Amino acid sequence: MSLHEVTSFIQAARDRIASVVVGQDTVVERLLVALFTGGHLLLQGVPGLAKTLLVAALSKTIDLAFARIQFTIDLLPSDILGSEVLDQRTSEFRTVKGPVFTNLLLADEVNRAAPKVQSALLEAMQERKVTIGKETFKLPAPFLVIATQNPVEQSGTFELPEAQLDRFMLCHRLDYPSKDEEREILRRNMALGVRREDRGAVARTEFDVLEDGPVGSTEQVVQAMEAVHRVHVSETFLEHVVEVVSRTRRHPSVELGGSPRAGIALVKGSRARALIHDRDYVVPEDLFALAEDVFLHRMRLNYEALADGRTGEGVLREILTELGAE
Amino acid sequence: MTGRFVTFVILALCTLGLRAGEVRRSTVGFPTRIEGIVLPGFELEAEPLDRQAPLVVRIEAVYPHGTAFRYDLVYYGLEPGKYDLKDYLRRKDGTSTADLPSIEVEITSLLPPGQVQPHALAAQSSPFPGGYRTMLWIGGVLWAIGLAAILLVGRRKKRPVEGEGARPLTLADRLRPLVEGAMAGTLSTSQRAELERTLLSFWSQRLGLCDLKPAEIFAVLRRHPEAAALIQRLELWLHCPAPTDRVDIAALLAPYQVADARSEVPQPVAHK
Repeated sequence: MSLHEVTSFIQAARDRIASVVVGQDTVVERLLVALFTGGHLLLQGVPGLAKTLLVAALSKTIDLAFARIQFTIDLLPSDILGSEVLDQRTSEFRTVKGPVFTNLLLADEVNRAAPKVQSALLEAMQERKVTIGKETFKLPAPFLVIATQNPVEQSGTFELPEAQLDRFMLCHRLDYPSKDEEREILRRNMALGVRREDRGAVARTEFDVLEDGPVGSTEQVVQAMEAVHRVHVSETFLEHVVEVVSRTRRHPSVELGGSPRAGIALVKGSRARALIHDRDYVVPEDLFALAEDVFLHRMRLNYEALADGRTGEGVLREILTELGAE
Repeated sequence: MTGRFVTFVILALCTLGLRAGEVRRSTVGFPTRIEGIVLPGFELEAEPLDRQAPLVVRIEAVYPHGTAFRYDLVYYGLEPGKYDLKDYLRRKDGTSTADLPSIEVEITSLLPPGQVQPHALAAQSSPFPGGYRTMLWIGGVLWAIGLAAILLVGRRKKRPVEGEGARPLTLADRLRPLVEGAMAGTLSTSQRAELERTLLSFWSQRLGLCDLKPAEIFAVLRRHPEAAALIQRLELWLHCPAPTDRVDIAALLAPYQVADARSEVPQPVAHK
């Protein structure tokens, strides 16, 4: 599959998602970046920003299995991973696989579950296999976890520790749509109408629009993943990545800077972004575009910076804009 | 008239009684109490304490007693001998105590005669630099020296900053050798990366993009004709594995070579 064919497939997928979800182009791009690099994505945003619709649209567009778990305080690891159940007819234990056995897993409000549940999911994300009873099962490929966090309601939540946040390749902060996008959302919603069901009718939702067939297959995703690995990364670009990672560690306002995994995520993500933008080589623009999503959830500011009212965004912006200054 | 006579008789009898009574005896260091002794004249008080005095007298209570006063006294001796308590009292109004009757006491020692006494203490000067005051003085002087050193060192450090010689490197200062190296083809990989970063910083500062989100900086740069052209050529030169166009580095970077070293952000000449 040539680069042109891969980018055509990517563009078709983006167009299909855009026909269902208004705006959120950057989030779609990040979803594809995560999908093509085998990373996982953490989305931070208030409810109602079409996170679930976005992931469902992606799964329908590329014909991937999709599952959604709403994380709550009483969720158990077995609710995600699966468990052994005693079959009363045969008197033998039977393994029932959990929703984690899918291609796209939406972990909604991941910070609402107890740490042991978060940890079970994050281990599955890392190892891509799950042990139920005495048996170990490989998770299907591709396997992408899209976790969400609500940045507003923090009471009764268990904040993900830095070590676990580091396992998310990207953490994207969703923003409200622009006025034009909001207008378009309302227009589309008004045009949905109702759907007859049995002898009654129900109001159609955006999910009902997802009934068209997929524009791509898992095989095309695999080919895109291979194409990502063919994207050229220059030595100069590696120098930029090393410099940025190093500066996040040396900055006087930062207590915990970017890990080596952050550097890896930046290079991988930049390759995927280059492919999405129809390039076979990465450029500094890819680094700048992905920097916030790669670094902000991995960086921790020190007490003095927090007391001064500084934010991670501000510090990272300072690091990037002063890259040329010593 | 009769009352005064009675008082005089009582006082005379008391005085006689005291004189006639045996001398009060006590041992060294043991407080002895005399209660209800009536002494004529204005009210008495104990003499101020003298560290060398062999006897200490205190007045515990004073009561009016007709024209006289009645006292509760406590005394204790520090050295053996015979003493008159009268010598250790004085009038509150400062008048003489000559009219007071003698109150003789004897202080005896429990130690057997011939007891070896310790040597008398001799005052000696403190060895240098002992003594709390000396230490205070030394500490004060050291503190003053330290303060002066801090103030002076701070001033000395500031002086070169104000001067021309210690001016920090500007973007133009850093850019020039990198541009010259690039035109000469002598830059290492890290220097090429530094050149690209410096050029991006230069344009970010020049277009005032420092407050934008990192992802938005390139969007603005790519809309600017000069910056977009520069970035595109730099990407071809530094990142593209097989560029379709040959990048003329000398022509590309020439505007940045003539940058004024005194300006923080050099003004490039528009390249053709």
